[in-house]
Amino acid sequence: MKRSSFLLLIAAAVFLFPATSGAILYIDINAPGGKRMPVALPTFVTVSGDPKIAAVMPKVISDDLGMTALFEVIPSEAYLEKILPSHFNRTPLSFPDWKMIGAEAVVIGKVEGRGDRITVEMRLYDSTMGNMMAGRRYTGPPRQVRMIAHKFANEILYAFTGVRGIFDTEIAFSATPGRGKNKEIYVVGLDGQDPRPITSNRSFNLFPRWSPDGDSLAYTSFRTGVPVIYMRSLQDGSERALVKFGTTKSPGCFSSGGDSLYASVSQEGNSDIYRVRVRDSSAERVVGGYGIEVSPSISPDGKKIAFVSNRGGSPQIYVRDIDSLSGERRVSYAGGYSTSPSWSPDGGNRIAFTSQSGGRFSIYTVNANGSDQRLLASGDGDCTDPSYSPDGRYVVYSFQKKGYSELRIISADGRWGKRLFSGFSGIGSPAWSPRR
Amino acid sequence: MGKGRGWKICLAILAVCTMVFAFGCSKKQAVKSTDTSGTAGAPAGAPSQGKEGVVTETLKPEAGTTAPSGGTSGTQVASAAEAAAGIAATEEKASPFQDVHFDFDKSSIRDDAKQSLSAVAAYLKNNRNARVQIEGHCDERGTSEYNMALGDRRAESVRKYLASLGVQTGVLSTVSYGKEKPLDPGHNEDAWAKNRRAHFVVK
Repeated sequence: MKRSSFLLLIAAAVFLFPATSGAILYIDINAPGGKRMPVALPTFVTVSGDPKIAAVMPKVISDDLGMTALFEVIPSEAYLEKILPSHFNRTPLSFPDWKMIGAEAVVIGKVEGRGDRITVEMRLYDSTMGNMMAGRRYTGPPRQVRMIAHKFANEILYAFTGVRGIFDTEIAFSATPGRGKNKEIYVVGLDGQDPRPITSNRSFNLFPRWSPDGDSLAYTSFRTGVPVIYMRSLQDGSERALVKFGTTKSPGCFSSGGDSLYASVSQEGNSDIYRVRVRDSSAERVVGGYGIEVSPSISPDGKKIAFVSNRGGSPQIYVRDIDSLSGERRVSYAGGYSTSPSWSPDGGNRIAFTSQSGGRFSIYTVNANGSDQRLLASGDGDCTDPSYSPDGRYVVYSFQKKGYSELRIISADGRWGKRLFSGFSGIGSPAWSPRR
Repeated sequence: MGKGRGWKICLAILAVCTMVFAFGCSKKQAVKSTDTSGTAGAPAGAPSQGKEGVVTETLKPEAGTTAPSGGTSGTQVASAAEAAAGIAATEEKASPFQDVHFDFDKSSIRDDAKQSLSAVAAYLKNNRNARVQIEGHCDERGTSEYNMALGDRRAESVRKYLASLGVQTGVLSTVSYGKEKPLDPGHNEDAWAKNRRAHFVVK
């Protein structure tokens, strides 16, 4: 018995040996900076429907993979083989042709559009072994072609790293459309294309915050003339007033279970932080004091809270236990004005925040115990309002310069960044959705 | 160099191989486990290579687009009066009184504000039925959330000062617009100084 299992292992070792020299493709997601995995992403095959889709989708996947610094997409001019519908049936790809141009993996896709439905099949092949590493067939409305591409980009990352991607997450933000004075809430995917409006009441709609299930947004609206925090279902558009007491109010973040919203509410000029039960709007004060206390952000374990207080004379970031008065400490020492903390959801206990130094606002990160503060993002304008991605690997923030504004994404290690969206004025308060 | 060491090396190689083997399996299982997620939406010409494990998935309706575009969707549609008030909130309203101004990140009443505040107090004492809303505003620097609370504090600071001049606080209300309603759209110290203000609207 012992001998036979030993032989089996030897057999496995012999079988797998070539794999360790390149056939089983594996990337350590935590070791960027190494050799990038060369991937081919030929234009998708259009069986029926809008031929533009076939070009859009590889671009979205390529941009997603580019966020990781783990892949290198080989330029399409080098490709030797044309992808045909039969490649999704019985004809194998000519893998030597892909190996010849250096592609360790090939992603192929096939689009079929029928009326208001499209079906996209995508496959990821290991070009050395010729085996399929991932295959998916998605059906949805044509508006969601980019989302479908993001979903398969997640599959690709998973196949190589064993780690789930966040390419199908979204960013909510507020901005002024056209030349108006109002601000509306929008949601945009990580491709930054075609944001969709969530509100359209021509009033001030501010501070969108995601529920943990990603199905709802809490936000402040002046749509009845006075500020109220509403909770809106993104599934059916239904909405209800969640926080009505006090004057000024802004949602900060939900509890991890989604049963409570942490929000700041002003009464008689004094802004404190409350925990408001979603079920019945009952509120209890969590952080009080004479100063301005705003912008709560909760640790992933739900035990600690980061917030802004000006109790020391200028706004700074403080951290303390939520349910006891103990352990409060100031963690921001970047400048005279530090606001908008975002607690990393990945368990690494990093807090990103905005701080003013040298007349400009920049994004800093710091450990929750106040150690190891670092500059993450700055520019020739103001960088404000950071929000971590659900895997803690990226931060979205807004950039403003003399009335121009845009959303930017930067990797949490600061090595990679891109502009996500511009085109409206007053773009601000970005909030990264939870995982889908 | 004896037999023992060779055995150890052999074991180590086997351990690595086992891990690689296990990893390969877990990856495949992860893909296949969702294979049962339904083939209801599969087109008629589904690939014959089903054994390869192409997983079929139908996307949920996109969040937020279920509402008719451009409409004020929702179960609680605002009344026409409310909607008008919501839009009016974004517009600068005429005031018979001078704005009072504040220093950066401050809500304390400056000496140069006191003349205007005396005028407001005198008006309210002479017009017992009048109501005044005090708007608190901030300049564009800093984050929207903090500025919203700072504007609230500025409005409240003005309200308390007027009360100290003998105004009944019941006739005063406050609202903060933070940095959302700059009076001067400029991006320089002159504009910022004008935008750090309390504004009086007679109701």
